[in-house]
Amino acid sequence: MGYTERVMRVVCAMSGGVDSSIAAALLQEEGHEVIGLTMRLYDADPTASGPARGRGGTCCSPAEIDRAKDVCAELGIPHYTVDERRRFEAAVIDDFAREYAAGRTPNPCVRCNEHVKFGPLLERARALGAEVLATGHYARIEDGVLLRGVDPGKDQSYFLFAMGADLLAHVRMPLGTWNKDQVRERARGLGLVNADAPDSQELCFVGGRSHGAVVERRARELGLDTEVLRPGTIVDQDGARLGEHDGIHQVTVGQRRGLRIAGTSARYVLRVLPERREVVVGDAEDLEASSIEVADLRRLVDLPARGELRAEVQIRHRSKPVPCTVTIDGELAKIRFDTPVRAVAPGQAAVLYDGDRVLGGGWIAGGEAGR
Amino acid sequence: MVPSRLKGVQNSLDRSGSSTASAHRSTIRSRADASDRRTSGLHLPGALFLAPLCYLVPVIYLDHNATTPLDPRVAARIVEVLRDPRLQGNPSSIHGWGQRARAVVERARRSIAGALGAEPLEVTLTSGGTEADNLAIFGAVRSLRAKGGPHGILTSPLEHPAILAPARSLEAEGVPLTLVGVDSMGRITPEQVAKALEEGPEIGLVSLAAANHELGNAYDIPGMVAAARAVRPGILFHTDAVQAIGKVPVNFREWGVDLLSLSGHKFYGPKGTGALVHRRHLDLTPLLRGGHQERGRRPGSESTASVAGLGVAVELATAELETNRAHVRELLAGLRARLQELDDVRLYGDPESSVGNTLSVGVSGCEGQLLLINLDLMGIMVSTGSACTAGTLAPSPALLALGCTPEEGRAVLRISVGKGTTAAELDALVDALPEVIARVRAEA
Repeated sequence: MGYTERVMRVVCAMSGGVDSSIAAALLQEEGHEVIGLTMRLYDADPTASGPARGRGGTCCSPAEIDRAKDVCAELGIPHYTVDERRRFEAAVIDDFAREYAAGRTPNPCVRCNEHVKFGPLLERARALGAEVLATGHYARIEDGVLLRGVDPGKDQSYFLFAMGADLLAHVRMPLGTWNKDQVRERARGLGLVNADAPDSQELCFVGGRSHGAVVERRARELGLDTEVLRPGTIVDQDGARLGEHDGIHQVTVGQRRGLRIAGTSARYVLRVLPERREVVVGDAEDLEASSIEVADLRRLVDLPARGELRAEVQIRHRSKPVPCTVTIDGELAKIRFDTPVRAVAPGQAAVLYDGDRVLGGGWIAGGEAGR
Repeated sequence: MVPSRLKGVQNSLDRSGSSTASAHRSTIRSRADASDRRTSGLHLPGALFLAPLCYLVPVIYLDHNATTPLDPRVAARIVEVLRDPRLQGNPSSIHGWGQRARAVVERARRSIAGALGAEPLEVTLTSGGTEADNLAIFGAVRSLRAKGGPHGILTSPLEHPAILAPARSLEAEGVPLTLVGVDSMGRITPEQVAKALEEGPEIGLVSLAAANHELGNAYDIPGMVAAARAVRPGILFHTDAVQAIGKVPVNFREWGVDLLSLSGHKFYGPKGTGALVHRRHLDLTPLLRGGHQERGRRPGSESTASVAGLGVAVELATAELETNRAHVRELLAGLRARLQELDDVRLYGDPESSVGNTLSVGVSGCEGQLLLINLDLMGIMVSTGSACTAGTLAPSPALLALGCTPEEGRAVLRISVGKGTTAAELDALVDALPEVIARVRAEA
């Protein structure tokens, strides 16, 4: 991070968590005029109980908005809240319900970064006279290129591939060169109230509830066909019935635990067939795919419109990157893994890397089995 | 003129208008032992010493309908009471200290009664305007209902939530609720009130504000009371005078109302003080139970010092009414003229009948909240039309009632001036607005 950088007005997106708090503190120490902004994304669920209610879910819940305010008051910077509930519902929660109802496994964090966190928030920042928007993501932006965060345990670049290449020049991620322990240490040093708050693991808007209930309720509200979410059968690859499941939105490709089926050998979810409400299971080796089709390809660097390139691909957060050959055809791409990959879940993101550099990525449409 | 301006170094410290300023803050911070940040108050004098002049830009407070700065004479009285060891007794105690504290409370009660044309026994002290409104609505309706007579509520969609929420709550219990119609300027006439009562035999309580908090409209309460009594001689009439006191003459007896709410901090008094003025023998079911204070209408030990401050504040508000009124009216006439020169800006409310300190400014194509934040970052504090709590951005209910679209209801700023406001401050606002509006519109 450059102390050579000139001083400017920066809007820091603050979730109420320790990461964005330290991002704000670091920018302030560099001499920038920092303004804290928190998006209100959803209403606290009055039916939630226990920790979900006490903490009001995870980030950006009403309780966390208060936390962000407390931190900004401690840092001596102004803080404001903007209402993004409608945008979040349309772009993230509705998509979450639709994707599950279609038998896919959505990635709401990527959706949120694409549709809520960067574009609209940058617009707000500019409307407030700020040149750049800062976030507490563990990823680096250097010379207009998105790089992995240096803390391998926290790297969040996977979630950022769809943020938009044109925004990279206007976004700062000060924590990209930090690791989590350093962040906590700094937060304790500053006496911040959230220094030792646990990392959020679950999806923010799901909170302490079951995600299945959230999907069902929203699908009903949207008038989707909720028949498809009713319990169905678990079958093997030959179609023989092995047991029952609670709904296709309750299972994910690659899942092994929690399947109510007889027999001793380990069985994994291979496919979900929404139209028949069937979940197909098989052995570990049946789970392997040699290639995947990717749709809606996003580019963070100059990638050819058509052609082939070598890269590494990551098909879920924190999975090991796998060397591959990518054949790009406009918005579509076919990715052939050098060695087969297990548990490719349609709906999840496939993100392309060149070492630490994020090239782009897309959403997994389907996989092709085989070794 | 009272030097009650909210100019202050502390304010500008937290609202740096210049990035150099933040640089100084952090320099100072980094010198400190990081683990010892809780004592950061010690760094303030240093920060002041180092701060460049531009850091000490005075803040401009234009949100007097939200709250007013404490008048120094009120503050002096509060401190006087707080510091006098003989005044720390419980006003309800029989002994000497109790009697002294009681005397302070009763003196303030006489001030309130005297200033508003009521008897001391007609003043029930509360924690503020919200409690006074709640006590009026719940207390009156529950008593009317207990007697078995008409107990429906007639109010307007422009009322403060402290009226509308209790009314809605009672409606959920089965109490009939009628909202009188308002026109596009937010006007309500005595004839409309009479007509609503003719059509609504179930109505037992009318509650209409003497002045609107968002638009600044002033209403003809005596005219409405007369019209209402002509239809229904026994009807109860409550007026929320929270935004009227200190801005227009308010007289409980002359107005002929049965109930009147006030809030200390809206007229340079302390927060956490207020009163419900009511006819002496009016039946009012209390909200709280557990004590005999305020003749059982509002149990709980009185906050002697705050009540003393309220007494001084209401005396000053009445004694200096005409001076203050002339001052804000002159200021606002100038502001109104200059705002009307801006493009795509409209003014809401009724200029013919206004308390004279409030302008509700519609700025098409701009989210009011973004205008507010921009102005705040420049040290100019205003409000949006809507109650913006915890990040919800609902369009102003008052503007919706005027027939505005939800988008228009979000594109509004409320500017409310006070006795300490200067013409130069309003010039600074008008000078800042075009750039701020352009910036927000560009990203809309």
